[in-house]
Amino acid sequence: MIFDSYEAYKQAGFKPKVCILGSGPAGTTIARKLGAVGIPVVVLEAGSREFSDESQDFYRGKTVGDFYFDLDITRLRFMGGSSNHWAGWCRVLDKQDFDPKAWAPDTGWPISRADIEPYLGEVHDILELPDFRPDVPVSDDIRWVQLIKSPAVRFGEKYADELDASKNIAVVLNTYATELAGDGKRVTGAKLWSNGQDAGTFIADYFITCTGGLENSRLLLWSNQRSNGGVVPNAAALGRYWMEHPTFEGGNAILANYSEFEVDGSNEAFFSPTLAAMERLQIMNFGIRLIESPYPNVKKLIADLACTAPDMAEWMSSKLDQKLRCAAQLYVAWEQAPLASNQIELSKTDVDHAGVPRIELHWKKSPLERRTLLEGLRLFGTTMAQKNLGRVRIDDWISNGSDYPTNEETAGHHHMGGTRMGTDVLKSVVDANCKVHGMDNLYIGGSSVFCTSGQCNPTTTITALACRLGDHLSKVISV
Amino acid sequence: MSNFIRNLSRRTIVQALIALPALSLFRNQPAIVDADEIVEINGWILRRSDLA
Repeated sequence: MIFDSYEAYKQAGFKPKVCILGSGPAGTTIARKLGAVGIPVVVLEAGSREFSDESQDFYRGKTVGDFYFDLDITRLRFMGGSSNHWAGWCRVLDKQDFDPKAWAPDTGWPISRADIEPYLGEVHDILELPDFRPDVPVSDDIRWVQLIKSPAVRFGEKYADELDASKNIAVVLNTYATELAGDGKRVTGAKLWSNGQDAGTFIADYFITCTGGLENSRLLLWSNQRSNGGVVPNAAALGRYWMEHPTFEGGNAILANYSEFEVDGSNEAFFSPTLAAMERLQIMNFGIRLIESPYPNVKKLIADLACTAPDMAEWMSSKLDQKLRCAAQLYVAWEQAPLASNQIELSKTDVDHAGVPRIELHWKKSPLERRTLLEGLRLFGTTMAQKNLGRVRIDDWISNGSDYPTNEETAGHHHMGGTRMGTDVLKSVVDANCKVHGMDNLYIGGSSVFCTSGQCNPTTTITALACRLGDHLSKVISV
Repeated sequence: MSNFIRNLSRRTIVQALIALPALSLFRNQPAIVDADEIVEINGWILRRSDLA
């Protein structure tokens, strides 16, 4: 069932056991899992079926620190959530991404990749993916990795008919919770806002917040403030350890033969470090994306090489005559070290139309990440040269330690952390089952529970974790 | 011919000529260059053998 207003929903007399906030990949997946086993679920979606400026305005906020996107364009507030502008790139976090790293504080998850692997079959159906292929070692330091460019499932579009036909799932559009109320043990109710006005209090046995990697923290920070700590009793880490995937053009490569590597349909190939290389250099995970260069760029690159290594440039020129596709731009995206100081706070001066403080995001890249960028490119360049696969040139701003450019890709629009998973209540918000520490009936879905970010796009892992949470709750909640 | 050389015995001159190759031991040895060594120059990551 899909209702366009809370008023229409109330008239239907539906009695849910579970209230899910948000209809993005996590919220929709958990609702479908619970609905499939007969558990009645209501999904509150703040927006409508389509994008609107009015709804999007609730996402405005401010960033303090490094340059970042406007917060109202980096996510979407309508049915299907941010899957509506997702590029569809898929890969699951690596096994090593779940493990603690001695050289990076506060890394390590309370679960391993083996805990989500049983759900990858479902994830492949949901995201319409072929099977993932194993990584291919290129050297002791670098591996070719597969990143599947999927059809980019828009959850609102794909599942609208199924949700509308469901007897166990009610999606209520234009309706959301401005705050949760709690007594330190349980969420006792949600204060609703629907179609531009206060819509009273909503009560359910269980609440699951799936409002996104920025909004989950905002909702819980505000709820906790209003309930004197009654919603997140252990709130030391709430809003903290927020992460992105910084992404910049890192250099160029001239390749002996572009077909040495398996490329995807866009002639792109992806590479990451081995765990041994990360340990040896004490760096974070990263992904290097090879993008075929336009021909004029190739000539410019070879002219530059001729100043440094004339014979090599001459050899490359001869290769160029034989094969035009032999140069590439290198884009690097990397894992951020989790830092408590990268955090979501509530604005002290700015509120949205419902009176909820807007987000003030404090975000800064660390020296460890800067080293990861430089050493990562060196690792890749060294492998290319040692194996005689090609030669790499690192961009000057990276080699000479200049500031990050502000006219580049910047980051992946991947919002992770803020309500991270863990066992230490001082450094995490939810437990291994995504249940808020100390609360009996409050769970969190989505990438805000990520402890670390790895280097890959988060949607595949978000969906796997949502399947796992749905499976867990279907055993906890009686029908 | 200078007086200095005129005063040397033929034996001394022959011994000096025999010893000449050994003087190269005291010269700086050219570094053994590993052509496969990786070097970073002007942002390029190259093999030393690329730098011809």
